[in-house]
Amino acid sequence: MSGAVALGAAPAGRARAGASVGPLRFVLAAALCLVLSIAFQAEFGAAGRGTATAPLLYLPSGRYLQIAALGFDELLADALYLWSIQYYSNYDIADRYDYLEHIYRDVITELDPRYLDPYLTGSMIMTTEAQQPEMALRLLDKGIQKNPDQWILPFEAGFTCYQTLHDYTRAARYFDLAQAVPGAPPIVQRFKAEMTRRAGDIRDSLQEWAAIHDAATDEYVRTIAWNHVHDLRVQVDLEDLKQAIALYQDRTGQRPARLGALQTAGILPATPRDPEGRPYLYDPRTGVPSYGGLSILGR
Amino acid sequence: MSGRILAIALNTFREAIRNRILYLLLVFAVALILCAQALSLLTVGSEEKIIKDFGLATIDLFGVLTAVLLGIGLVSREIERRTVYVLLAKPIHRAEFVLGKYAGLVLTLLVNTAIMTLCFVLLLVAKGIAEPAMLLAVLLLFFQFLLITAIAVLFSCLSNPIVSCILTLALYVTGHLLWSFDLLRARVAAPWARALCLTLQRVLPDLAPFDVKGMVVHGIPVPPERLGYALVYLVLYGGAVLGLACAAFQRKEMQ
Repeated sequence: MSGAVALGAAPAGRARAGASVGPLRFVLAAALCLVLSIAFQAEFGAAGRGTATAPLLYLPSGRYLQIAALGFDELLADALYLWSIQYYSNYDIADRYDYLEHIYRDVITELDPRYLDPYLTGSMIMTTEAQQPEMALRLLDKGIQKNPDQWILPFEAGFTCYQTLHDYTRAARYFDLAQAVPGAPPIVQRFKAEMTRRAGDIRDSLQEWAAIHDAATDEYVRTIAWNHVHDLRVQVDLEDLKQAIALYQDRTGQRPARLGALQTAGILPATPRDPEGRPYLYDPRTGVPSYGGLSILGR
Repeated sequence: MSGRILAIALNTFREAIRNRILYLLLVFAVALILCAQALSLLTVGSEEKIIKDFGLATIDLFGVLTAVLLGIGLVSREIERRTVYVLLAKPIHRAEFVLGKYAGLVLTLLVNTAIMTLCFVLLLVAKGIAEPAMLLAVLLLFFQFLLITAIAVLFSCLSNPIVSCILTLALYVTGHLLWSFDLLRARVAAPWARALCLTLQRVLPDLAPFDVKGMVVHGIPVPPERLGYALVYLVLYGGAVLGLACAAFQRKEMQ
């Protein structure tokens, strides 16, 4: 019996030893594997990930992703937007702009067309980073179409036309769109008036600035508007006077001796005065009218 | 609600709150809602939108998971454990048993949704972006949970938990894709195929009316008729599903 106990004791002792050492072995083995895995990933991780744009090849259009989203379209749009910010902030990826339009125009804004930030951020990346302002305008055009109640999108498009493309006529059209949206801030109208001037339409621009001046409740805005009204008024008056002088010369064969002669001849309803209320200067020898003061804005 | 249904419902609720799956889901949901704050740090602008989207999507997803995972075993587990025999030996109608089970799970979901919503609202208040419309979105999500639960109970009366889970999730998926039948109908030429598309669109559960997450996050007002439609649809379709569940359980042979 005692032998049996002695024989039985040895395996029991081994079992206890095995029970205490066994888990430790597994823990050590697991730790070793983990360390090797980390080292392997650090060394060869780039090879495992493939090229930077490779994952984008599998990103289908937002229309198809909508089906997979199962009602979580907005969440998926958020996730892709967050990813896009990290992705396009990584300057190590040389070909990161290859699918730029696809990501923002066909995927994120397709999943959530009322999500404004992807339009704004996407167009900013397209314009300033990828140097593709027309691509940015296509994205913003989609945003304007899907969100006609948001002034910021046409404003942003107008700003891109103004600052990057220097296409002031197009910029004025976008600012006009933005201005028509209820709740658009007054600065939109000021941008529109200035773009109209830069596009060469000084009479419309004068009307815009005069309207801003009359409606302004803020002294700062009123002063800015007045400066523009002043200079544009002078420009418009001088242009009118030049045209009237040319017409007078066509009719009489000679230049008018003074500006008042234009009114006497019935060419002008009244002789214009400068914004300070003084008559414009006129040199009958050259037939050129001029302004006696200084342009406020130095144009 | 009769006293017997209430008793079964309370018992089901007590049983459900002892279920570890419920707590696991709840802890994950609360953690994810709070994670929205961390995620919002990664964005440029739209911090508010990401918090709202993430919170509402978490409530939606975990509410549905709770409804499915608890609902599928609701009746079949009772049969498997043979506890149903003890109950049915008492003067209880089989329909009362099914309805009591359903009501108990609804009560569980109500508590579950309330806890998730409370965490979500606290986060919104802390960020200063709380809006009453968020609660309307959660209310409609809760209506969706009620419908999913009814479907899960029906399958629980008909089949084992694994098959019930697959079928309920399949209906959840198709319930969000019913709009695609319109696209399919426009593509197919055969009249019978078009009729089939239309029939499936009408017969399968439509979960789209319960989803106003996008609307409330973008500040688009939810028209009252949308809420009314969702409520009436829930009562009618949910009633039909529960009726079928009662009928299926009525005909079930207990051995």
